[in-house]
Amino acid sequence: MGRMRIAVSLAIGLGLPVAAALAGPSPMPPDAKVYIIWPRDGQVIPGGKFWVRMGLSNAGIAPASVDKQFTGHHHILVDTDLPPMDEAIPNDKHHLHFGRGQTEARLELPPGTHTLQLLLGDTNHIPHNPPLYSQKITIVVPQ
Amino acid sequence: MSITRRRALLALAFATLLAAPAVAQQTTASEAAHDHGASPAPASAPAGQRMPAPHDAYVYIGWPNDGEVIHSTRFKVWFGTRNFGVAPAGTNVPDTGHHHLLIDTPLPPMDEAIPNDKRHLHFGLGQTETIIELPPGTHTLQLLMGDGNHVPHDPPVMSKRITVHVVAERGVEPVASSKQ
Repeated sequence: MGRMRIAVSLAIGLGLPVAAALAGPSPMPPDAKVYIIWPRDGQVIPGGKFWVRMGLSNAGIAPASVDKQFTGHHHILVDTDLPPMDEAIPNDKHHLHFGRGQTEARLELPPGTHTLQLLLGDTNHIPHNPPLYSQKITIVVPQ
Repeated sequence: MSITRRRALLALAFATLLAAPAVAQQTTASEAAHDHGASPAPASAPAGQRMPAPHDAYVYIGWPNDGEVIHSTRFKVWFGTRNFGVAPAGTNVPDTGHHHLLIDTPLPPMDEAIPNDKRHLHFGLGQTETIIELPPGTHTLQLLMGDGNHVPHDPPVMSKRITVHVVAERGVEPVASSKQ
């Protein structure tokens, strides 16, 4: 009985109908979390060249070519809002893909105020269910 | 989200995370070609050869720092990787690997699979951080990347070996001796 209930819960947990419009088809554990280790929110970065360190808890990193449950690859969103959660993440200068399984990236941004946010994508670059994205942080590159 | 559903998902995640080490721990550390679980054997480098790694690839322990005094027996270790990618065990993408955290042990042989025991923790899902528990005392930590078959790359991609000092939390009795 208990086992059946778990199976049913699992089906709900992994099932799509409810969340289909809000997330992609690849499941993630509910406690998985993606976050920007560095820079910090509000960080001032003279020169505008820096490494972004990408953090992930309770899930794994895989290159884009690998399809494995509870894994994904990082995308850095630069100066843009979250894209749709049920489509492939765009690939342009505002949406940087790290399909080789990288967990750090060197960025160079012009003077001004910029936003950074991480969004994990599955093997098809589609966000997971639930989608894993970090807080959107702001950094300042002085003139 | 119901508690039952959450628990089931957690159990599933946990089982997946634990599956590979649980199987591998039954084998002895000296077996060169031991089985790390249900993953199909990847098309890896031929026997006796190691997967190449770029010379500028390196890993480092992002936290704790070398010499860190940690006031808890339970703490997070995060794995930094530069000029290299992370991939789950059992996959074979060039210039990627998965992390192994060596605790209180020197480097294993570089031409065979990294042992899988409590001194050699495998992160075959492609994890980039972990939470470990160590008794009060002085400990060493070192990261070593393994390929799809858990064999170090050529050249090996590994961190500096750091030393940390775990101090008993308030109310916790210190262990009489941390010497092995």
